Amino acid sequence: MSDHSHELPFWKKYIFSVDHKVIGIQYTVTALLFLAFGFGLMLVMRYQLAYPNQPLPGVFASVLSEPVVGEVTVNEATGETGKVLTGDGYNAFGAMHGTIMVFLAIVPLAVGGFGNFVLPLQCGAPDMAFPRLNMASYWTYLCGGILMLFGFFVKGGAANSGWTSYPPLSLIATTGQTIWLLGMVILITSSLLGSVNFIVTAVQLRVQGLSFFRLPFFVWAQLVTSFLLLLAFPPLEAAGLLQLMDRVAGTSFFDPGGLIISGVERNSAGGGSPLLWQHLFWFLAHPEVYVLILPGLGIIAEVIANNTRKPLWGYKSLVYSAIFLGFMSFIVWAHHMYLTGMGTTLSTFFQATTMIISVPSVIILTCLVISLWGARIRFNTPMLFALSFLPMFAIGGLTGLPLGLTASDIHLHDTYYVIGHFHYVVAPGTIFAMFAGVYYWYPKASGRMMNEWLGRIHWFGSFVFINAVFMPFFFLGMAGVLRRQFDQTETLHGAAVQGLTVMATWGAIGLALAQIPFVINFFWSMFAGQRVGANPWKATTLEWTAPSPPPHGNFDAVPVVARGPYEYSVPGESEDFSMQATA
Amino acid sequence: MELLAQAADFGTYGKWMPPNLSVRGGAIDQLIEILHYFMAVLFVGWGIFFVYCLVRFRSGKGGSAQYHPVKGKASKYAEVGVAIFEAVLLLGFSMPVWGEYKNDPPPADKRVEVRAIGEQFQWNFHYPGPDGKFGRTNAKFIDNVSNTIGLDPDDPNGKDDIQTIGALHLPVGRPIYVRITSKDVIHSFAIPTMRVKQDAIPGMEVPVWFQIKEGATTANLLKSKSMNEDFDTAKTNWYRVRHLVASKDYADKSGQIILAEGAGIGLSRDAGEKKLKQLREAGIDSINMHPENPLEVICAQLCGNSHFKMKAQLYTYDDAGFEAWKKSTVPEVIEEF
Ligand code: HEM
Ligand SMILES: [Cu+2]
Ligand SMILES: [Cu+2]
Repeated sequence: MSDHSHELPFWKKYIFSVDHKVIGIQYTVTALLFLAFGFGLMLVMRYQLAYPNQPLPGVFASVLSEPVVGEVTVNEATGETGKVLTGDGYNAFGAMHGTIMVFLAIVPLAVGGFGNFVLPLQCGAPDMAFPRLNMASYWTYLCGGILMLFGFFVKGGAANSGWTSYPPLSLIATTGQTIWLLGMVILITSSLLGSVNFIVTAVQLRVQGLSFFRLPFFVWAQLVTSFLLLLAFPPLEAAGLLQLMDRVAGTSFFDPGGLIISGVERNSAGGGSPLLWQHLFWFLAHPEVYVLILPGLGIIAEVIANNTRKPLWGYKSLVYSAIFLGFMSFIVWAHHMYLTGMGTTLSTFFQATTMIISVPSVIILTCLVISLWGARIRFNTPMLFALSFLPMFAIGGLTGLPLGLTASDIHLHDTYYVIGHFHYVVAPGTIFAMFAGVYYWYPKASGRMMNEWLGRIHWFGSFVFINAVFMPFFFLGMAGVLRRQFDQTETLHGAAVQGLTVMATWGAIGLALAQIPFVINFFWSMFAGQRVGANPWKATTLEWTAPSPPPHGNFDAVPVVARGPYEYSVPGESEDFSMQATA
Repeated sequence: MELLAQAADFGTYGKWMPPNLSVRGGAIDQLIEILHYFMAVLFVGWGIFFVYCLVRFRSGKGGSAQYHPVKGKASKYAEVGVAIFEAVLLLGFSMPVWGEYKNDPPPADKRVEVRAIGEQFQWNFHYPGPDGKFGRTNAKFIDNVSNTIGLDPDDPNGKDDIQTIGALHLPVGRPIYVRITSKDVIHSFAIPTMRVKQDAIPGMEVPVWFQIKEGATTANLLKSKSMNEDFDTAKTNWYRVRHLVASKDYADKSGQIILAEGAGIGLSRDAGEKKLKQLREAGIDSINMHPENPLEVICAQLCGNSHFKMKAQLYTYDDAGFEAWKKSTVPEVIEEF
């Protein structure tokens, strides 16, 4: 394979690159920055929640201004003033936290980052099927993301109607909402470009011998994810455009008419339906939650197989479960809408499908845990993240059950219990999987290992503090504390459990500090990490056949695949791993 | 009196779930409880296996990993067991409870009917008055002070109607039927202590019904032991006590009252801390307090910048008390909390 990378000028090699590895790294770095930013928004919110209406500490106060914060007098005697978050500021931060985390951080990291970097390598392909489309996808994502952030600077601040943007609230919101809608349309376009590319690559560019059932589970997870993105996003793109028209062109797709906003009747033709938006939104957003978790499961499967030194238990069950999950995820969406006034017929359908979808989740988890039986477990940093993923993902999945049954959802809907549920899946779940992935593939991307001790400190701190943040949420939800509340102490039941909220806030501060070793490690290892060869983890899949880092075009010689993805500890072999590629 | 207070002890806030004062709420709580036992059993069982594997199969022990998959039906049984149990929860618990929640509303002549109209950021309530008929409403009659729901002054059915803002008055022991809608954005009518939650959507009117437990009147709750809590003035958390009022007078050594019965310690943090300090300095290390009003209607759906403050007081009465309240309220005069 030709290695003409050195012929390319810098900007073509690292900026406007069509190489899937560079694009993958661009996605990863951009998404990590968005992740940090989304986390920062949340820290400000958590401060307000724990210490309602107390002036923000200096770091935040100095960077925030109107309309996010308002000036208050801290000390009557000295006239000293401070800044507190405003209700609108809180809601804007909340909406943007959700949007950024889902659409600008986790999905780009899981799909754009890991998918881009690893999938072609694991397929033995020299690049994505459509490299230019791939580049377009990244730049579209970046534009959408920057546009989203621009929302903070328009009059009235960023979108503040929740990441769900329910009308009519979103119809009467300030300009930030228009920016949000435009941003979403662009981001969705980027996702669509990416997903087509992934599907074609995984189907068409597999090297000789790499049949579907020899694909690593990671590729399967990405493939199902891409189908979800491809099929679920267009309805939201359409819905976003309709809402945009409602806001700027005087249509009323989502406006029933006759709204009295602050005593004044809103001028509109009426006849629309606010619930139509919810259906369109959740028709995307439920599959979207599987987009958030499936790539994570893919990473976990790779790391576990590698560090147990044995084949995954029930590889085919894993694949079938992922496909079934993907399919089912299209017919459960209305479990987010039980309390909009749903009768018994519809709700019976949706709670039944929701119970059914939990079964493949249980199977996936079971396969991964049983894979530990008979293993020789290596407790390195990627494995620590992968192992701790398992129980925390279980908590996230299990707590979906009380929400999926209509009767128990009456009490729990719109409370912190929901927040606890999905964060356990996405944060201690997916984000832990992402960390496992970063530590695991870093040597492939850079040719150097990350520092093991810094990695372990990072893991330990993250594990302790992430539970300190999210565990209290279940108790808050049980106590009836609602989500999206600027100050829970306004209510009796909220004030009674304020201590739990204070605990979660300190957990979040601890979690922030726990990331310091990671940041140091990430940059320091680029220059000072121990140099490694092609296969430092003694792994089996194709990416470990390519040099570290792989050159443009990936493989020195086109690999030919001789066996399944997880042939570890094959009896009679001299090594405990048998690589997929024949030498 | 003492006995009644004992009998009427319905629990308090801050201990797991809020007190349940609804006749049907118990079924919801029961399902939540069973689900959590089920989840705990799964999590612990699976966790034991997990930890056992981590210890037994750690690499330090040498040897090589097992290539051939473990045989055994344990995982199949576990998965089938989970599926069956979920089916039981769905068919045996959730569907019947939801069915009761949604089907067969109480007959019109037996229920107490009220409309709840959400608005940024208040709950408006509309009672039909003695004739049992709701007057027509129309946006053009809306007046933000005296007629927030837009009751038509020319409709005879509306003459005796009662409107309130931020205060919901209900009898115990009778079916309550609330018709929920909104004037502007989507709100959600929620009473945690009644295990009731329903979105208030403009252009739609959706009913919910429930029945308040016999004896759960506001008066009884205020006297109940669990709602009257003792607070350690040295350790008290300001957030909690700012909602509470003293159950009796507290005086300093000179006999001057520093916290009167029915008074709170102040809404702001500063006022609260000052009052607590004053109490401590007077040698009072514990104060007995109860909520000014123990029940609230809240809004559970993000509806704007003051969403968190959108709530109404819920007052519950026995039949005589409810009749007395209705008589005391002059129609078309807004009562504001
Ligand atoms: C075992 C399978 C699962 C079940 C039964 C389940 C069930 C539910 C239900 C019923 C809700 C709505 C709760 C409410 O609003 O009252 C919900 C919310 C949510 N779930 Fe799950 N879930 C499952 C797995 C997942 C996974 C894998 C994710 C992925 C990351 C996820 C992410 C979310 C998110 C983000 C929300 C909240 C959306 C919002 O309202 O903002 N869930 N889940
Ligand atoms: Cu869902
Ligand atoms: Cu509201």
